[in-house]
Amino acid sequence: MARIAAFMIGAALIAGPATLVLADPPPPPPYQMRAAAPAGDRNAPGRDGRALFENHCGYCHLTFGMGTNLLVKQRLAVGASPATALLANRDDLTSVYVHAVVRMGKGAMPPQTRVDVTDAELDSVAAYLGRGK
Amino acid sequence: MKQVLPPRIGPKAFDAALTAFAGVVGKDWVLASDADRDAYSDIYAPGSPEQWPASAAVAPASVAEVQAIVRLANQHKVPLWPVSRGKNLGYGTAAPRMAGSVVLDLGRMNRIIELDAKLAYCVLEPGVSFFDLHEAIEREKLPLWMSVPGNAWGSVLGNAFDHGIGYTPYGLHARNLCGFEVVLPQGDLVRTGMGAMAGNHAWHLHPLSYGPTFDLAFTQSNLGVVTRAGVWLQPAPATSLELVFDIPNEDDIGWVVDTIAPLKISGTIDQNVFIPSWLGKMVLKGQRNDFWDKPGAIPDWRVKELLTQYKLGYWQVALRLYGEEAVVRAKADIVKAAMARNLAVPPAEHWWHAGEPRNAVDITAGVPSAVPLQMSDWVGGRGGHMGFSPVVPATSEHVMGQLKRARAIIAAHDIDFYASFTIGGRFATNINMLMFDRDQPAQVTNIKALFNDLIAETAKAGYGEYRTHLGWMDKVADTYDFNNHALRRMTETIKDALDPNGIIAPGKQGIWPSVWRDQAKEGRA
Repeated sequence: MARIAAFMIGAALIAGPATLVLADPPPPPPYQMRAAAPAGDRNAPGRDGRALFENHCGYCHLTFGMGTNLLVKQRLAVGASPATALLANRDDLTSVYVHAVVRMGKGAMPPQTRVDVTDAELDSVAAYLGRGK
Repeated sequence: MKQVLPPRIGPKAFDAALTAFAGVVGKDWVLASDADRDAYSDIYAPGSPEQWPASAAVAPASVAEVQAIVRLANQHKVPLWPVSRGKNLGYGTAAPRMAGSVVLDLGRMNRIIELDAKLAYCVLEPGVSFFDLHEAIEREKLPLWMSVPGNAWGSVLGNAFDHGIGYTPYGLHARNLCGFEVVLPQGDLVRTGMGAMAGNHAWHLHPLSYGPTFDLAFTQSNLGVVTRAGVWLQPAPATSLELVFDIPNEDDIGWVVDTIAPLKISGTIDQNVFIPSWLGKMVLKGQRNDFWDKPGAIPDWRVKELLTQYKLGYWQVALRLYGEEAVVRAKADIVKAAMARNLAVPPAEHWWHAGEPRNAVDITAGVPSAVPLQMSDWVGGRGGHMGFSPVVPATSEHVMGQLKRARAIIAAHDIDFYASFTIGGRFATNINMLMFDRDQPAQVTNIKALFNDLIAETAKAGYGEYRTHLGWMDKVADTYDFNNHALRRMTETIKDALDPNGIIAPGKQGIWPSVWRDQAKEGRA
């Protein structure tokens, strides 16, 4: 996590204060492996929310993912730390909000099907991301 | 999204079909709520996604379940639209060509059946994503690299089946496929190539077999549902060197192509060489409002300013060589000397050696990433994009002709110009990215008119698209017109023989079974 935070802060420093145009970014970090999908019935409640988040949402929401990159700009625009572009670092997400974004999409993010993320998996992911609330 | 049933199917009959499907896969994997239909819609649709509505989705977990669903679909006369992972963004996502088709979502079939480092191949089910395969290789520390497309969120097989391209020596993805297992439209199961012999050991190794070769007939195709296929992989190189050339001017693409194509054809360069225009870099830096605050295309004078300010060339060639270090050095000397005939500035050089990590977006080194999709954010709002993708011979004459023709048409529609040429050998694939805000009707109308003009003018000049969005599948098929569309007539004859009830993907790539041919006029953008 320290390496990830360092990268995100690096990304912030290269953004000018008056604009959200990103100057030449530092070299991208290495590929971040996702957690393996936890074993078990995909429709069973109570599976590991963190592993499910990484496995199903990690295509875009780990270090230097597409979603993370777009959120860096959004977080800077509201005066938040760019490290909070990583959803796992957020403490202001609610379970209800996570459910809504995953199923309805947001901005460039498309809605996720129930094959992408089952309802039970989404409950676990939302509980994990909403743990700060 | 409101429910649109398949043509000629009433609500009771449709419910009976879904109940029958649930008997195979379980009710949890029949997905028929309003939210489900939304999730299977074309989220990047030019206009309303309700033009290509799915009625429901069903998600089998095994070949036997696929066979059972296909047989039931025949009994109930319910058409299916198979998707591997449904991430064909810009080309229709998971949405069906014919309204009311049930999406057959193969995302649960995500087993890596074989992963063989010795002969450098794998055998996959359709639900395996590029990320899944990359991580399986990394976890086992196997000396293998994949080839990935710009958007690697999707399926390895699905991308190859839609003739996707990547930017490595294995970048012509459909050419890496070897040996299919296919559920035919009435539920029979066949194995192609050497796999036609039960227990044959070379199924996924020898591509030509005995008798007619059908593998690629099941790509961009509605002749069956592929449930597994072999995919050849690149042996991991000992070293790799990236040479990055910034190419200053628009018209330089001519000499660039005439320099690189012969090196690619002769084998000095073995990757597909991707040459994006400047906007490919700018979309990673911000949104268009950050650079130009007026609605029309960014004018040329402002483009020149931006290129200077951000130290960008009009084009960029980020070329990669692979292999033993001595070989790579020798090849690099040849490439650099060839480029130096027209370009004084030497390239930036980035070496990679075995054991070093590859960065998160290094698609020429086979690392999967969805970051190139950030371009969807360029225009702001709920961004969408479409790709206009004709193929031209890899010479300056053809490339310059295509560039000027597309550039003029795109300029006439006042849209930012973002093109790339990928040199795959004797041909160059020209992808013109057209970005728009899905909630701005004027932008959508303009993009659709632009797309029609591009198809018509490009075909008139003697070039065709290799892939297209749902709404233009028929229009592009119409451009393949030799001898009164003889190839389409042949394919539809085969389609009707294999699929008399028109169950599998009616209308895909403009191929309509006779039973649904009256629907072909619907769903055109």
